[in-house]
Amino acid sequence: MRDLPVENKQPESIRNKRRPIGLVSAISVNFIHLRNPWITASWSAMFPGFGYIIMGSYIKGFLLIGWEFLINCEAHINTAIMYSFQGRFDLARDVLDIRWTLLYLAVWEFSIWGSYALTVDLNKLAILGNREDSTMVPVNVSTQDIGFLDKRQPWMAAGLSLLSPGLGHLYSNRVPTSFFLLIMTIATVYMSHLLQAIEYSALGAFGLATAVLNPQWLLFIPSMYGFAIYDSYINTVEYNKLFEQEQARFLRDNYQNPQFRSRLTASGYMGGL
Amino acid sequence: MFVTGSFEYNMHLELAISELEKKGVPREAIAAVLMDSRVEERKILDTIHRADGISSFDTAALLGTFFMLIGAIYGFILYWGPVIWGLIGLFGGAVIGFAGDVLLSRILSKNRTDQGATGTARGKAAQVFLIVECDKEFETVVREVLWDNLALGVGSLPG
Repeated sequence: MRDLPVENKQPESIRNKRRPIGLVSAISVNFIHLRNPWITASWSAMFPGFGYIIMGSYIKGFLLIGWEFLINCEAHINTAIMYSFQGRFDLARDVLDIRWTLLYLAVWEFSIWGSYALTVDLNKLAILGNREDSTMVPVNVSTQDIGFLDKRQPWMAAGLSLLSPGLGHLYSNRVPTSFFLLIMTIATVYMSHLLQAIEYSALGAFGLATAVLNPQWLLFIPSMYGFAIYDSYINTVEYNKLFEQEQARFLRDNYQNPQFRSRLTASGYMGGL
Repeated sequence: MFVTGSFEYNMHLELAISELEKKGVPREAIAAVLMDSRVEERKILDTIHRADGISSFDTAALLGTFFMLIGAIYGFILYWGPVIWGLIGLFGGAVIGFAGDVLLSRILSKNRTDQGATGTARGKAAQVFLIVECDKEFETVVREVLWDNLALGVGSLPG
């Protein structure tokens, strides 16, 4: 008698968990969905690390953001950018600290290329996960916080971020991004003397406003501000889609009983009280 | 008889179902029909009710940020200073990005709209139809549960 070939079959429990699309944790919902790689690359160009944060790759993102603050401030990259745009090239040359400057290049380019490449990879995972119809648990209660999927208003998130970067992410329960943005806001607003400049500008004292501002720190603010608004808005939209996807799956699994239709003709069943 | 209610995907839908079950309707007597929406014309803005994720927000945010930076840079040598010019840059860039994106999508989706992608109803669209089978005396209770949990519409089929 010939032995039958042994079929190496993967247990179903593993097979259905191979391509998860997301996880609800107490402080954040991390999940994979289709994104345009040029968009994440552009945000990384604006501020190294932001592209990674958008994708929920927090450790890499925070590493690069910390790096950016250190190297940019020590080498005075922002000030040099400002002078170059203004055509004052001699000043740009003088302000750069060549003991630090060259450190900037490789990592800056890596962050752009890296977020592009990671987006492309995650898009493949998103497609596979969707085809597999991966499950996820929509609520996570822990001793630190409570995270759950819900429908939220994208414009509320954008509006809150407009008031103060980080608030929109608190609203959509993306706490790690919020935490970093709130701290970055304090640091950049204080170091750049932005609030004094706003005060002077509102009073019409434009000369004073220009004089009080520190360009090195001020130039961090546009990318941080724009990013906070953009990311909180997009995340809220995607969370809403995820909520619908998860609920649709729940309804399909529990409330599409094949017995239901047969009772349309057979009047045997009397539901209710 | 059958009582139907139309819903959006939200927590209230599940609250309605669980309340029905708690009041004695067995799970087998509740069916959910999930509605596929038609291919819609690309919407400019996402709302809580409908989010296609390809709204014209990407370019607006990127250009707004970029021009805010430019505004702040030139603000140092212009009269109004970096704060005002930064704000002008932010809104100017966002408007340019927004308009450009809308225009581009009009051109790109021209063929599709010409074939008459019928716009669905504005605002809330029914995404789920619940069908509840119950006997006649129970009808008002079921209808109330559905209405109380923000059904968009409720109807009954006698029989």
